Amino acid sequence: MNNKLVINFVPGPTPVHKLAGSTKMLIFLLFTAAIIATFDIRVIAALMIVPIIAIISMRPNYKPLIVLLSVMLVTTGVIGSIMLLIVSPDTGFSHVGGSTIIWQASEKLFITRETLWYLLVTMTKRVASFLTVMMFALATTPSEFASGLAFLHMPYKVCTIVSLAYRTIPDIASKFIDIRNSMQMRGVELSKKASVGKRLKATGQLLIPLIMSSFGRVESIANAMDLRGYGRLKTRTWYAEHELTNLDKILRIAAIFFGAAILFYIVYFRIINPYPAEMWCPFIAKEDIIAKSQFEDIFFLKWFNK
Amino acid sequence: MEIKKKNVGAMLVGEWNTKTIVAVAIGAALFGVLMCYGGIPIFTNTSLTTAMIIPVIVGALFGPLPAMVCCGVGNVIADLIGGWGLWFDWSVGNAVMAFCVGLLPVYGANIKEGIFTAKHAVIYAVCCILGNMVAFGVITPIFSALFYGSDLNLTFLQALAATLGNTLVLVVVGIPILLVLANRYKSRTNLKEDKGDQY
Repeated sequence: MNNKLVINFVPGPTPVHKLAGSTKMLIFLLFTAAIIATFDIRVIAALMIVPIIAIISMRPNYKPLIVLLSVMLVTTGVIGSIMLLIVSPDTGFSHVGGSTIIWQASEKLFITRETLWYLLVTMTKRVASFLTVMMFALATTPSEFASGLAFLHMPYKVCTIVSLAYRTIPDIASKFIDIRNSMQMRGVELSKKASVGKRLKATGQLLIPLIMSSFGRVESIANAMDLRGYGRLKTRTWYAEHELTNLDKILRIAAIFFGAAILFYIVYFRIINPYPAEMWCPFIAKEDIIAKSQFEDIFFLKWFNK
Repeated sequence: MEIKKKNVGAMLVGEWNTKTIVAVAIGAALFGVLMCYGGIPIFTNTSLTTAMIIPVIVGALFGPLPAMVCCGVGNVIADLIGGWGLWFDWSVGNAVMAFCVGLLPVYGANIKEGIFTAKHAVIYAVCCILGNMVAFGVITPIFSALFYGSDLNLTFLQALAATLGNTLVLVVVGIPILLVLANRYKSRTNLKEDKGDQY
């Protein structure tokens, strides 16, 4: 389980690792907000550049990243697309603003160019979101995560919850392996020799001791924190928050401009002067777009209209 | 002995001492790990996940708001270690669902004192179904369509699958766990009926 994890617990050597937690948090949130705000594939593609550069500059172990990316592409990409084509093949109409059938099997099963474009855009959005999360997860240690949240004026108890939870994951993994080994010592077959059903059942039985022993530690951790004076004062300083490096200062100024740009984009391109359809598409001229509300397509509303 | 009744507001918020914080943190970590590795996929983006046990336990012992924070943070952590991008829509949905599941102490199922009867089990099941319907039938689709442009039909089907799967886990696994927990805490209280004539 450990080699599958991408999250980082040790401060790393590269400039991106050495950034202050607050800067990392700020940039991560701004990128997430930007990706949420736009449906224009050109903007999303531009937004992907910075996370890619950041990830490459950190020189990570690429193996788990590739595994995660391919799992995501298969589950949400391939299976999700097929489900979408079965459930509502004409979804591109309300998002892109047109319907050009390129292949048809029956009345309810067809592929339109606009739906394929819609799938491409949402997939790009997912990949961009994935890259942003990976950039953050690879660079940030639990304490930096907490100090970044504190920078955003979250109550410090929430910060503690996040950092403690983040930090407990390897403990849970090692405890899981311990429990599994001791179960195997007692003769529970968990290897590939047993059938899938048996293995699932045995894994289910592992969960109860895992949960019980994890919650059993609550008391001792809480006592240790209380003894060190946790929660006596209203505020808290963060050990991981250090003086700003030069890169920090540059990035914070850049973040201000970036935030302003996002705000401008939302106000101007989404509210004042919106594109007639949700997504920009090169196949359809702006004048030909037919506006159609998404809500006209919802299957259970059609039942009421009948 | 007369137990002083707490008002509903205080019960909703719960008691935020160090123990609650640690329990919520560990619950969130378990939720994240189980969400990633302890599920059987039943539909795109949704699975029959064992992580649903966690809000039941946290809600029973600490109240609705801790359960809510636990699931919200837990879902963010699941997104970070699972690496499928950050989906605020599902985090918010899970948090609302956990709040409804964790309402246990508010309607009198005080697990810490060993009180969990059939009536409470029925209310608990109703709360689970309603909470899942509100969270995944209303809140998640709205955020999903607004933030990520998901197709509403597919999102509603996903919500339906999530509601069914979660409710199944919450009711089938949750009620026995609550009974076990209640019995454990009951055996620790000293309020036993004297049965001297059995000796």
